[in-house]
Amino acid sequence: MGAMPENEHGVTAQHLTKAFGAALAVDDLSFTVARGEIYGLLGPNGAGKTTTLRMLAAILTPTSGSAALAGVDVAREPQAARRQLGFLTGSTGLYARLTGRELLRYFGRLHHMPEATIAERTALLAGVLDLDGFLAKRCEALSTGQRQRLSVARAVLHDPAVLILDEPTVGLDVLASRFLRDFVRAERDRGKAVIFSTHYLAEAELLCDRIGLLHRGRMLAEDTPAGLRARAGGASSLEEAFLRLVAGLTATAAPEVKA
Amino acid sequence: MKVRDVALVAGKELRETLRDRRTLTVMVLFPLVVYPLVSLLMAQVMASHTARGEARRSRVAVVGPASITEGVRARLAADAKAFAPDALTGDARADAAGDRAAVESGAVDAVVEVSPGAHGGTRVRVLWDEARDESRQAHDRLGGTLGGVLAPGCGPLFALEDVSVAPRARVGGYVLSKLLPLIVVVMIMLGAFYPAIDITAGERERGTLETILSAPVSRFDLMTGKVIAVATLSTVTGLLNMTSMSLTMIQGIRLVGATAPVAIPWTRAASMLIVVVPAAFLFASVMVAIGAMARSFKEAQTLLTPVYFLCFTPSLIAGLGDWDLAGAAAVVPGVNVTLLARDLILGTATLGRTLVVVASTLACGALALTLAARLYDSERLLAADDGTVGLGAWVRRLLGVGEARAAAPSVALRATPGQALALFGVAFVLMVGVFVPLQKWRLGPGLAISQWVGLLGLVVIYARGTGRPLAEVLRVRRVPARAVLGALLVGASAWIVVGVLAQWLVPAPRELEESMRRFVVPGDGSRGLVLSLALIALTPAICEEALFRGAILRGLAGGLPRVTAAVITGLLFGLFHLDLWRLMPTALLGIALSLIALETDSILPSMLAHFTNNACLVILGYLGRDRSVDDLGRPAQLGLFGVGLVVVLLGAACLRGTGRKARDL
Repeated sequence: MGAMPENEHGVTAQHLTKAFGAALAVDDLSFTVARGEIYGLLGPNGAGKTTTLRMLAAILTPTSGSAALAGVDVAREPQAARRQLGFLTGSTGLYARLTGRELLRYFGRLHHMPEATIAERTALLAGVLDLDGFLAKRCEALSTGQRQRLSVARAVLHDPAVLILDEPTVGLDVLASRFLRDFVRAERDRGKAVIFSTHYLAEAELLCDRIGLLHRGRMLAEDTPAGLRARAGGASSLEEAFLRLVAGLTATAAPEVKA
Repeated sequence: MKVRDVALVAGKELRETLRDRRTLTVMVLFPLVVYPLVSLLMAQVMASHTARGEARRSRVAVVGPASITEGVRARLAADAKAFAPDALTGDARADAAGDRAAVESGAVDAVVEVSPGAHGGTRVRVLWDEARDESRQAHDRLGGTLGGVLAPGCGPLFALEDVSVAPRARVGGYVLSKLLPLIVVVMIMLGAFYPAIDITAGERERGTLETILSAPVSRFDLMTGKVIAVATLSTVTGLLNMTSMSLTMIQGIRLVGATAPVAIPWTRAASMLIVVVPAAFLFASVMVAIGAMARSFKEAQTLLTPVYFLCFTPSLIAGLGDWDLAGAAAVVPGVNVTLLARDLILGTATLGRTLVVVASTLACGALALTLAARLYDSERLLAADDGTVGLGAWVRRLLGVGEARAAAPSVALRATPGQALALFGVAFVLMVGVFVPLQKWRLGPGLAISQWVGLLGLVVIYARGTGRPLAEVLRVRRVPARAVLGALLVGASAWIVVGVLAQWLVPAPRELEESMRRFVVPGDGSRGLVLSLALIALTPAICEEALFRGAILRGLAGGLPRVTAAVITGLLFGLFHLDLWRLMPTALLGIALSLIALETDSILPSMLAHFTNNACLVILGYLGRDRSVDDLGRPAQLGLFGVGLVVVLLGAACLRGTGRKARDL
């Protein structure tokens, strides 16, 4: 699992567009994520991040445009594409009445993993993510941090080529956040293509190799963290850069609106 | 479909649901503990009540000429267990009014007035209070005791002894057949209720929907797994209830003191299994489909409760009425399983009928399952903030008060299925509570008022409330000539097809046809052809279409697949007519009209078709040619049906694709 040709991108999004009624949530969005790269997808609320990630996971169907995960077209082969994907967002909860072990086994089987491999991976992840103390407990009895670690294990159990992590550190303390970032880096170093989405621009700056700034469904800018700061006239932080870029956009757009 | 994935999902859902206390309570606790306890308790209370009543002696006053009263008193006194002697002598009467007062006040339980009758006989009048247990008992006892009094020297005219030839097990079967089918079907539904909500809306509410949607399993497999889990749970509920109910009912009968012991026909009761499994699958699919539409547990409960009663009603009708499992009854979901269950217990079910019922139930279940899979895929579930507005805000907006108006005075609400159903609910209540009485009062004016003021007014208020122009709500758009022709063709022939079909499947009683005819052409000639056309063809073509093919259909189509929206609109249209026999024909017509409105993307063709349809019936009536389909022979029926169908299809071909290409905006 997780093997992909060297020349393939991990994630390719081409002209992705999603309309809800008359409103455009995502408007002609294109980007790629290489394997062994952490790509930050950033933007304020309503920028279209969640919609984009859901289209990549074949949960929402794009109005137009296409996407591929590890070379598998999402629209044409949604099941095969999902097999390449580890998906973790703020709204991917856990089954409260299953124990951690049962939950992992269920998702392993849904991914058609052999029982031996499920056991192997569970043991491995239990070590790395420190799950051992609570795998036999029902999910409803877990703390926020434990739940989040179990969610990560659920997402990476089948060792997918692509990882989508939306706000994975929400509700975690400093230590746990740090721990999670280390885990994501390790996954990148194992050759995974990672999309990391967050509100915390400081966190993105720490972690991401490249960043795409989304604003109102469009790609505002895309570069390395340093590159983005330089582009925004040498901003001191990514936050500053983002504010300047958005301000620049409204300044240029304003006359059009009036005309 | 991947069987392995389906089994995996079903297993997980079962495991998870069985860990939910609520489900377990409904499934196991109720049938195994609560029902037997409650019914045995009731039986014991009844038995002790009866025993206490039997132990009590009735206090009866006998009044009249001493020559007769003495004999009667002696007769009653002989039955010392039943009658208290002290009351017999206590003759407090002054007049007839005193007798009545004595019974009413409870001073005595009954008064026996005796007087000389014709031919040397005796006239006996018993005054008793029907609304008092003690008096009722005294009345019963007097009947038994005095009925046996014979004139001296005469033997009894008849000696009556009744002997039931039914074996004990058949009596048991008969008793069970009266209640058990209904209870089992209802319990299967109840057994499906919570798991169905828990597995769909609960999944969304607990935030695991996106988790499972991102897993590599197809929607259909996912839904099938869920339905199988729910069906399994509801089957178990059904079986537990069936066993528990059978035992309890029989025990209850014994306790209350039936004359002879009653046996349970176990093999026949067990054969009800044939019904339980398909019925469980059907109800599970329907409830999962509905639950899949809901965005929260609460919304699912709100949606499912009316559906529960809607499912329950056919079973109730079937359970109470003395219907035959034949014709349409064999394919109507809910009705057929209840009737088959009854026949199985009575041992009168045939193999052919059983197969028809099982097959049609499974087919309906499969249909609901497919629908569930499509609805679960709906993006609505994930996009909660897509402009749908809660009921409160909607009402505020309708009334033009509060924040809703201040916040967005110009933004129109999108039409949604919720709005459509609410609208139907209001119209239905108006129909039952206002329109029907109005039409009973004066048919013509009543009909005109309910349609023009009631239905059309409702649509106008709805349009105002949602902030959209009426023409847009109804979708009044010009259509090509081809669409007009198509609508005319369908309108001119649909009634034939539907009429013949109805005659074959659910033939209405003659009296009903006759009253329909009098409705169209009043016998006293009080209404001319033109007025009848205006009242019976033009009025509903505008008003009913505005409500059903305008507001309701567009609302449903705002959140459901087009064909589903058309079918639901048609069914609601059928229900609205409040007539069991016309339900199927009007529903079919409603579906056809809905499809016309959707295909042409305008309400005008469906109005035209509705007008043409009704006008044909009115004109035939006035020409005196509206013979009952039943009077025609089979060949003539087949011929009519064939010709009608061809014209309908021609019309459909004309209508095809006349709407603009971009259908949904």
